[in-house]
Amino acid sequence: MSAGPTKDPAPAAQDWQAADRPEWGANDAHPLLNTDIPRVDGPEKVTGVAKYTHDIRLPGMVYARLVISPYPRAVVRDMNFRRARRVPGVVHAEPLEEEGVQLLFQGAGGVVGIVAGESPEAAEAGRAEVSIDYEALEPVVTPEQALADGAPGVGRGGRNVSSVESHGDQQAVAAAIGGCDHVVQATYRVPVQHHVSLETHGVVVDYDGGDSAVVYHSSQNVTGANREFSNYLGLDADKVTVLVQNVGGGFGAKFGAGLEGRLACELAVELKRPVHLMLTREDEFLMAGNRSGSEQRMVGGASSDGTFKVLAVEADKHGGVGQGALPRPPYIYTVENSVAEVRSVHTATDSSRAMRAPGHPQASFAMESMIDELAYGIRMDPVEFRKKNLADPVWHRQLDRVAEEIGWHDHPHRTQPGPGGDGVHVGIGFGVAVWGSRSRDVTVVDLRVEPDGGVTASTAVQDIGQGARTLVAAIVAEELGLDAPEVRAEIGDSRLPPAVGSGGSTTTGSIGPSIKDAAYQARVELSKRVAPLLDAEPGELRFAGHRVFVAGDTGRSLSWREACAALGDAPLRVTGRFQPHLRDQGIHGAQAAKVQVDMLTGRVDVLKMVSIQDQGLPLNRMAIRSQMNGGMIQALSFALFEERVLDPDTGIMLSSDMENYKIAGCREMPELVAIIDDEDTREAVMGMAEASNIPGHSAIGNAIYNACGLRLRDMPFTPDRILTALGGMS
Amino acid sequence: MKTFDLQRPATVEEAAGLLPSDRADRSAVLLAGGQDLLGELKDDLVAPERVVSLSGVPGLDALTWRDDGSLAIGALVTLADLEEEPRVRAELAVLAEAAGQVGSPQIRAAGTVGGNLNQRPRCWYYRDPDSVCLKKGGTHCFAQLGLNKYNAIFGGGPTYIVHPSDLAPALVALGATVELVGPSGARTMPLERYYLLPEQDGITRETVRLPGEVMTQVVVPAQEAGLRSTYLKFRERSSYDWALSAVAAGIRTEGGVVTSARLVLGGVAPTPWRCPSTEALLVGRPLDADTIRDAARDAVRGAQPLSQNGYKVPLTQGLVTRALSALA
Repeated sequence: MSAGPTKDPAPAAQDWQAADRPEWGANDAHPLLNTDIPRVDGPEKVTGVAKYTHDIRLPGMVYARLVISPYPRAVVRDMNFRRARRVPGVVHAEPLEEEGVQLLFQGAGGVVGIVAGESPEAAEAGRAEVSIDYEALEPVVTPEQALADGAPGVGRGGRNVSSVESHGDQQAVAAAIGGCDHVVQATYRVPVQHHVSLETHGVVVDYDGGDSAVVYHSSQNVTGANREFSNYLGLDADKVTVLVQNVGGGFGAKFGAGLEGRLACELAVELKRPVHLMLTREDEFLMAGNRSGSEQRMVGGASSDGTFKVLAVEADKHGGVGQGALPRPPYIYTVENSVAEVRSVHTATDSSRAMRAPGHPQASFAMESMIDELAYGIRMDPVEFRKKNLADPVWHRQLDRVAEEIGWHDHPHRTQPGPGGDGVHVGIGFGVAVWGSRSRDVTVVDLRVEPDGGVTASTAVQDIGQGARTLVAAIVAEELGLDAPEVRAEIGDSRLPPAVGSGGSTTTGSIGPSIKDAAYQARVELSKRVAPLLDAEPGELRFAGHRVFVAGDTGRSLSWREACAALGDAPLRVTGRFQPHLRDQGIHGAQAAKVQVDMLTGRVDVLKMVSIQDQGLPLNRMAIRSQMNGGMIQALSFALFEERVLDPDTGIMLSSDMENYKIAGCREMPELVAIIDDEDTREAVMGMAEASNIPGHSAIGNAIYNACGLRLRDMPFTPDRILTALGGMS
Repeated sequence: MKTFDLQRPATVEEAAGLLPSDRADRSAVLLAGGQDLLGELKDDLVAPERVVSLSGVPGLDALTWRDDGSLAIGALVTLADLEEEPRVRAELAVLAEAAGQVGSPQIRAAGTVGGNLNQRPRCWYYRDPDSVCLKKGGTHCFAQLGLNKYNAIFGGGPTYIVHPSDLAPALVALGATVELVGPSGARTMPLERYYLLPEQDGITRETVRLPGEVMTQVVVPAQEAGLRSTYLKFRERSSYDWALSAVAAGIRTEGGVVTSARLVLGGVAPTPWRCPSTEALLVGRPLDADTIRDAARDAVRGAQPLSQNGYKVPLTQGLVTRALSALA
């Protein structure tokens, strides 16, 4: 393939090579980083050559399927696996629970058996022959059911309410409400959302009964994963290798082996054969986690000059048997007085897990809606109201930028909604984001430069689609004056030097400094070897455009290959470690959405979305824009479609496929504008993915109001909700 | 999915002979494009011993304009072929537009006219393998008192499915007939009479087709000159989805006055839902804003929404307004 677009080496671009420690240098002076760098593994992925865990095929491998109760709570009365065992090709069909056991919650709590076959079809046919009599119990799948008098206890310790946190001065808030010019009392509801990774959770355990095993895993964390799997396999940790070469999406739900990982290991031990256990799509919806829902009951008040005076919040997190997530109110905005009580309301459903900015989209919807309601309530431009109540000026410039890009200043109605009535109406709405983007000191990178010029960078980090493999190659390539595809990035293997797990937008900030440190060391060492050949001091050498040259005298130079030949017979090996000065943390973000609402049908079409994002040094501009596009698309899909649906009477999940759990498709895609905030001049790296997923659905909800005066406080904004609300308006 | 024998008869009669003769016997099923059947098999909603494929029967994929101006559509004509046929597009817009809005391009490339007309309902209780609803021999319709935002506002009871076909309302609007071949020979009937309401013994089935019968073709009669027609489908998700509500409309006018009208709704009833009183209301009136408003109101008269599908009333009213306005 052709090399990525690189700039000609300009002498100024190599100033950072004169520093006596690794430095990124000025953000606008990079020859390779901070440009559009195509993925080094792009061709393999688009041609289907790249192997995902699901694609692994091994000699003698069996395919396993789980038997899962459809009922959240049930007593297992009678189980019959005999007929399943007689299905041709079935090699294993066994219960995992005893008769009489009470199943406590939907998902992992309802896995009652496992079937394995020589083919996926045999395993599937075997599973269909398993017969189990369940005595279904009261389901307890809605918060109303969980909070009803006499409801069975389904949370930990039998409690349906836990983790009650409260803060703030109730009396001060009560007093402040009286001084407000406009007060809004409203309840905002966010449904449970699924991750819907295209590759479901699962593993392939390559084990034949010997003293070592290889586990292929669809996972967001390689380093240390061998320890967990070795426990399940009964092997020493150093005898287990975990491979994560390509991952078809994780979004926070793919940490740890999971129940499916443990069961696959146990089955491999029993059968002494490799086991392929990937969840089916239905299993994935039932037991692979979700973003917790929430109900947030709020009272907010503002003065007519646009000051956010008061906020009182009672919030419930709906994380099933898990805790759910919600950042502490008042979230991003500054308010003079606030009080909040946040609790978890438990249902007998699958536990929530981390999902791209855990808790934040939920908080965003309630807060951005409240902010919008207050702004319109005092007839103030909602952009100006936001700026007045956001402390950090970064948000001000970002809001101004997205407002400009979406055409806010030419929009006919900015301080009150459009007139409504029959026809189609256009509206614009806004929201802002925040994320910590912290990093961890765990990543080690081995770098090897061969005498023939080959370069290999090795670290265990996983590429979950965010482009980590490309970063490993590109940071090294820039330091050594090469193109990204010329550096071999060896990742996704637990035998490699340790790296950070990919969660919380920590990958870039955690691996970037270690990669840079390795590359810096390699350049310094190579300079020492090459300097005598160019009759120069090592510190005078610069690396750019596949050449090593003397600063200020490009005539004195060697090609990259000639320079590497100076290594003699032995490759150059260095080890990079985390350098705190190369990373920073704390990012913002703002988004705007333009929608069209059809009053006759309730259809909302999103016409355009704009996102701006700061992240210090934008290592790969193409990857960052992709993250922003993905964040906007995920938020759009959440706004318009996504919602877990459980039948309240039986507890059965009705949305356990991609027909009924709807996600946006091609025709729903608006014009997407992703802006990298280059006014962030921090010469340091940090992740940005989570922030881009936080405010989009809030902006869409606010745009619907701006279009037609319809304030939707329950997501998703489906035609039935819109038409019902319009009926109530007229 | 249970293992089955795949059989490929060479004639329709042979295919009919391979099918069971008893309504309760589900041991063999017909396969056309497979777009619905494969889903039913995978969800274990049917578990036949034999799958009888029509792919070996010659001629069923023919689309033929006859000398009398009628159109014979073989049961295996794909939705994509129908959608792209130039004369269908020019003369039978309602049919081309309906075919073009089924599923996704991939589904239209494989799905057939016969399969589309005979597909089973999409009700999420029916499709859920663990819900033994009335339609599957259970004791009650879960949608009636459960989660029913996608269910029927007309013609429901004791089950409340909506028929998922897009072609059916369009073909009923065009007065199409269907041909069935069974053990005792062939019979034809208006498509309108092919579908059964639940109260007409249409609980565990949706059509009058007997188990041993094969739908071989649909005939659209010659239309009188001047027909203007359209199919408006409203989906929750435009990229691919079934209709929340749909309108097939065909109108002829002379001197600005409606001389004939057909109005058939989709996605709102267990069958294609014809609106005879609305058709009668339209005839003899100019197709102006007043008439359209009256017609849209009339079309939803008698709707009986369940707890969560009341929105389908204003939605359908809106779609009728749009469809008639487009034809005015």
